[in-house]
Amino acid sequence: MAPITAAKVPSTVHEFLVLPLRIPAQPSFPKETTHYLYLRANAPKVPTENTPREVFAVNVPIDATELHIRSLFANQLGGARIDSVAFEGARVGKGISAPVAPVKQGKKRKRGIEGNDEDATVEEVGLLPEVWDRELHRSGGTAVITFVDKPSADLALKEARRAIKNKADISWGQGLRNKIPPLGSARYLTHHKMRYPDHSELQASVDAFMEAFAAQEEARTKMLARQRAEPDEDGFITVTRGGRVGPAREEAAKAKEEELKKREKDRIKADFYRFQVREKKKEEAKDLVRAFEEDQRKVEEMKKRRGRIRPE
Amino acid sequence: MAPPASKKRKTDHVSSGDEDDEASFASFASDESGDQANDEVNGTRAEEMDVDERFGSGDEDEDDEEDESTEDQERGQTKAGAEKKDKSASKPTRPAKTSQPSISALANGSFKSNVFKLQVDELLGQIRPRHGKRETDAESALHTIKKSIEQIPPRGPFTIADAERDLIRDKVAIPFPNPRPPKDAKYKFAYAKPANVNVIGSYALKTASRSKEFLEIDMVVTMPGSLFEGKDYLNHRYFYKRAYYLACIAAGLKTSVGKEHCLRFKLFHDNPLKPVLVVRPIQKNLDETSEVPTPKWRINIIPCVAENQFPAEKLRPDRNCVRSQQHQDDGQSPTPFYNSSLRSEMLMTSYLKLLHGASKACESFVDACLLGATWLRQRGFQSSMDCGGFGSFEWNALMALCLQGGGPSGKPLLSEGYSSYQLFKATLQLLAVKDFTKQPLVFGEGNSGPKTTDSGVPIIWDAVRNHNLFFEVTPWAYKLLRQEARTTITALGDQVHDSFDSTFILRVLEPLYRYDCLLEIPAKSLSMQTGPRERLVQLYQVLRQGLGDRVSQINILRQPLDEWALGSSQPLAGAKGSITVGLMVNGDTARRTVDHGPSAENKAETAEFRKFWGEKAELRRFKDGSILESLVWSPPESGMSVLEQVIRYVLGHHFGLVTVDDITFFGGDFTKLLRGGSDRAGFEPFMAQYKKFENDIRDLHDLPLSIRHIMPADPQLRFASIKVPNHGKLAQKPVPADVTIQFEGSSRWPDDLVAIQRTKIAFLLKVNDLLQDTVDNVTTRIGLENEGQDVLNQAYLDVTYDSDATFRLRIYHDREQVLFERKLKDKTADPKSREIAATGLAKYKRDFVKNPARTQAIARLCTRYAALSGSIRLMKKWFASHLLSNHIADEVTELLVVRTFTQPWPWQVPSSVQTGFLRTLSWISRWDWRVDPLIVDLSASGELKQPQVQAITTNFEAWRKLDPAMNRVALFAASNVDFDGTTWTDGVPAKVVAGRMSALAKAACAEVSEKLLLLEPGALFSSPLEDFDLVLHLNPIFTGGKARKSMGNGSAFKNLELEALTDTDMIGHEPVRNFLNELEVLYGAALLLFYGGTERPVITGLWSPLTARRSWKVNLSYSTIPVKGKGEDGDVLADLNKDAILAEIARLGGDLVEKIEVHKH
Repeated sequence: MAPITAAKVPSTVHEFLVLPLRIPAQPSFPKETTHYLYLRANAPKVPTENTPREVFAVNVPIDATELHIRSLFANQLGGARIDSVAFEGARVGKGISAPVAPVKQGKKRKRGIEGNDEDATVEEVGLLPEVWDRELHRSGGTAVITFVDKPSADLALKEARRAIKNKADISWGQGLRNKIPPLGSARYLTHHKMRYPDHSELQASVDAFMEAFAAQEEARTKMLARQRAEPDEDGFITVTRGGRVGPAREEAAKAKEEELKKREKDRIKADFYRFQVREKKKEEAKDLVRAFEEDQRKVEEMKKRRGRIRPE
Repeated sequence: MAPPASKKRKTDHVSSGDEDDEASFASFASDESGDQANDEVNGTRAEEMDVDERFGSGDEDEDDEEDESTEDQERGQTKAGAEKKDKSASKPTRPAKTSQPSISALANGSFKSNVFKLQVDELLGQIRPRHGKRETDAESALHTIKKSIEQIPPRGPFTIADAERDLIRDKVAIPFPNPRPPKDAKYKFAYAKPANVNVIGSYALKTASRSKEFLEIDMVVTMPGSLFEGKDYLNHRYFYKRAYYLACIAAGLKTSVGKEHCLRFKLFHDNPLKPVLVVRPIQKNLDETSEVPTPKWRINIIPCVAENQFPAEKLRPDRNCVRSQQHQDDGQSPTPFYNSSLRSEMLMTSYLKLLHGASKACESFVDACLLGATWLRQRGFQSSMDCGGFGSFEWNALMALCLQGGGPSGKPLLSEGYSSYQLFKATLQLLAVKDFTKQPLVFGEGNSGPKTTDSGVPIIWDAVRNHNLFFEVTPWAYKLLRQEARTTITALGDQVHDSFDSTFILRVLEPLYRYDCLLEIPAKSLSMQTGPRERLVQLYQVLRQGLGDRVSQINILRQPLDEWALGSSQPLAGAKGSITVGLMVNGDTARRTVDHGPSAENKAETAEFRKFWGEKAELRRFKDGSILESLVWSPPESGMSVLEQVIRYVLGHHFGLVTVDDITFFGGDFTKLLRGGSDRAGFEPFMAQYKKFENDIRDLHDLPLSIRHIMPADPQLRFASIKVPNHGKLAQKPVPADVTIQFEGSSRWPDDLVAIQRTKIAFLLKVNDLLQDTVDNVTTRIGLENEGQDVLNQAYLDVTYDSDATFRLRIYHDREQVLFERKLKDKTADPKSREIAATGLAKYKRDFVKNPARTQAIARLCTRYAALSGSIRLMKKWFASHLLSNHIADEVTELLVVRTFTQPWPWQVPSSVQTGFLRTLSWISRWDWRVDPLIVDLSASGELKQPQVQAITTNFEAWRKLDPAMNRVALFAASNVDFDGTTWTDGVPAKVVAGRMSALAKAACAEVSEKLLLLEPGALFSSPLEDFDLVLHLNPIFTGGKARKSMGNGSAFKNLELEALTDTDMIGHEPVRNFLNELEVLYGAALLLFYGGTERPVITGLWSPLTARRSWKVNLSYSTIPVKGKGEDGDVLADLNKDAILAEIARLGGDLVEKIEVHKH
């Protein structure tokens, strides 16, 4: 690959600023490299009240942490203060979704979920212990950076633009060495240790979950019972699961139908009438012909694939 | 193309050809007017050639150059041939219409299946002899040679000295057989015009397969009876006179046709008594051959005599015809080989007539001959004695005789109405079932056949002709032939799998696939000059007695003798070349270290035993009180397998082959590659530990639910892990072995996937507590898995015994499947949760349903087949060494190897690790996974039936229709416990990786075929790292295995190391595996990674071609460099930022990665 000089790299692409990050050399890969981070003001299709103070980042390095981003803007890009960072594909609520109301697995919801109280309790009590000390992000991934206010966000983008223009030297992960958990074998060792949590902790988590789950189930049954008993505002009774005679499942109905048909068929044995025997024979002959044609096609194909059939 | 018209013409052509053939044949066989016969032959040939040229097929002698059009033509021809047959069909059993026949054929069982029949037809079309340029050339040569032979002037009679002197002048040495005639021989040698010159053999009968390298034409020259005296059948006198006669023909032909043709002597069928003259075109210079290839044909000129020349009675196998000088009385031992060799000379024409009669009487005879010839060729059997002495002539003659008789009260064994396949199969059946060495097969009535001897020579007694048809068949080849016949019969009986390829297409004779063990002995050291045949028989007897039941087959192969020039004397047999002995071992007994001989009280047997074994025999007293002669061998750990020790000792004792150079031994080297031995025994301690674990769990009484099943689900628990678990005490950390446990059903389980997983944790906690209370020396921990996927199994229980065996227990709850399936069918659910349900269901089935089932099946197979465990482990090692183990799942590898054992055709079930491994490799190299599914019967007892195979095939076809580009499923591997076929191959390996697997296997097989005995087993296990774009060299501390010990500065980590080994907390800690998994998740779209476990301390990668430069967009799933486009609109393009990615990998790997190496391609 030809070395890419800075001159060839555009400063913007579409509406994104192209911010080059200098990556220090590593012992196993002793070469200084450049990573390109793309930034722009966030503009989702459905803006929220937070949108003005958000910046959308693309091609986030895989090992980025919130601290990385904070320090990048705080120390190297004008000191804009960050409220939170939401990485793409980060696991929402660590996979504990409440059994009834499924939590939307959308992005940007890592922090500050405002669900109803019931959900929140289940999620909080049911958490299984964390097994990683540091999350990773897929290569080329995105993140939404929420600044404390709109001016901070604007400042950050302005500083970034200036840094690109001045070809400022911005280094990735500067000064964070001891502030974040290390990568490499240490991380895997920690992971291994975290995978085996303390049994009492585990027991407590399971107990809490099951308790919440039972409560929830009960609440749901109650709600269903209520729905069954009371007409809604339009005067209809909702058909719900769990009544004395539950609504028939479609599959069950179909299966029953099949069975009935079969029974009807079995009533007259297949070889009772002469025409049946005759038709059966005809059918068999047809099957043979079909099988033969199929085989012929198979051999033709084999020949085409392997060339002629001859001993090796 | 206008098919109808051309087809009609071809039909004419073929049928006319056949008619001519008949005419020519009759004349060939007639005794008088050979001249006229030949003229007629040439006449008809010319006519046929005209026809051929009209259709443009007359100019092909090189089959490889044939193009598509010829193929079409050929198809037309065979079709036409079939049509023609139909027209002339007189018997009702013959098929009637072109499209219907196969159906009826299948229905009445004359063919195995339609596909089989169609393939056989196709094959016959390919190997039926054709009349091309080389045939024309050869025939014109035949004509000239015949003319010139008839013009050779008579010579003699001379005494022996004069005869030799006379021919020396023509620079021809008489090819006298050994021993040479005495100098003072009274009889005279003379030459006179031959009584008859005729073409016989496969060429004349049109049974010569086209796939032969050379066109061989046998031409017999009948010597006039006037040259012989009544007693000439005695003491080689006939053969001396025959040699003189042959030399005269050679001398005569040398002057007439010696310019255009090359004349050499050769032994007919390697029979030392029968030299013949070979005529072939002279090799042109190299530059010329590039333009016009030399026609590949040769003509054997064979002298013979009339059938009534000597009394047949005198030449019976039980008579003596070579009188020794010492005593003249009648009590001399019979000379069956000599007698039959002479008798066969007299019967040349008679057998020609027999075969011709058979081909006229039975329509499919010629086709059956071609099938037989192909079958024999693929198994290395030929009429030549060095290749067993059973070739197509013997096959054809046997079939012809069986059409006439051989059955009870002289009824024919075969019917003329049989199809070619039925003839072929029935003949094989005859060979497989009957042992002609014990019970001779007699054809015809009259005098009874000779008694069998214990020499091991089979007897097919043709009473009409007073001849043993199998006199040249060697005992070892006969035994092998019978085994091959049995194998093929079994293969043909397999209703589920097509056995066409294994019967006719595969080359069964490749020695490394066929034999478990090979020896090479230089012919010189066997001192074979005196009697090569006798010496080989002796070698066979010694090996057979010495090895006993350790081997099932011993086959001796000798390099065929060369031809020699007219002027030089016959080369001494065994002066050069070598003898190869192939052994098929008996897996159960080959490693026995103590052999029991006869009891000490039995003096005669003891003496014999002592004589055979020499000083190796010891008298021993055994536990049961018996005192036996015995042999004690050192265990294989001493460096030499028991088999090798026995062979070296026996050959040293009886043949003086003492030095290591005398014998090249091959076999067993592959097993040395497996650490911990290839034996299943290495797993036993671990298995015992598992039993204890199972009992411990079952003994827990206070569980809320009772236990239904505890099932192992791990390669270590089915004798199939590369490394033997728990081998050598603390040499390695134990690898947790997966086990599933199922409880009795209960209505108290929650009806929700997430809650089920939590309940399972609660159960594990309970089991954990109970285990801690009841069992000593056990460490238990609960680990979490599948983080973030809360519908999947969340936890497992690790149970470690004495820090040397760990079992990983997961709970199997059958309700999960229903819940997953319901979710999958739920049309209101969002696509994402349905996808989760789909993957969850697949994983659930894999871990809890299929894995335990197959673990059970494979463990059972391993106890049934001794070599299976080793073969599986070696195969896994092979995949790992080529860095494919993260692509080809262990389970797929196991299926591949099991296939070699449960569908071993064309071989028998492998009885050694070496053959099990090599045959699997060979199958992989030929496996066209694009169109063929892998279907394996794990029950090995025919539980897999046709409808199930049909279901699997339908599954396979559905996948291929759904995903024709094979982006998701490349390999399809199903078994009788898994009809889905994609359980372990969904997503991985990618098509490119599957292609690499095939390529690597092909390369390995090429190496095997090329190197033969010189093969270095390790060479098959290495491939260059340069093939990859990048190589991550891992730090040996973390890769484990051997590398750690070889570390120079190991002492610095010694304490850490020991701590890591003894600490049960570290069990299951696999940083490299974690690292790899993360890399695959992070860079899956851009990078294809290869890893071979502990076999090689590297991870390698290839950049995906999808990461080529493209227009920039937000959602690219890899790190990019923006580049200004060349166009004026200034489009920004995106390049893969390889360096930044490598830097990220370096950061992520940290101290795991020592060095990242990048290869520029």
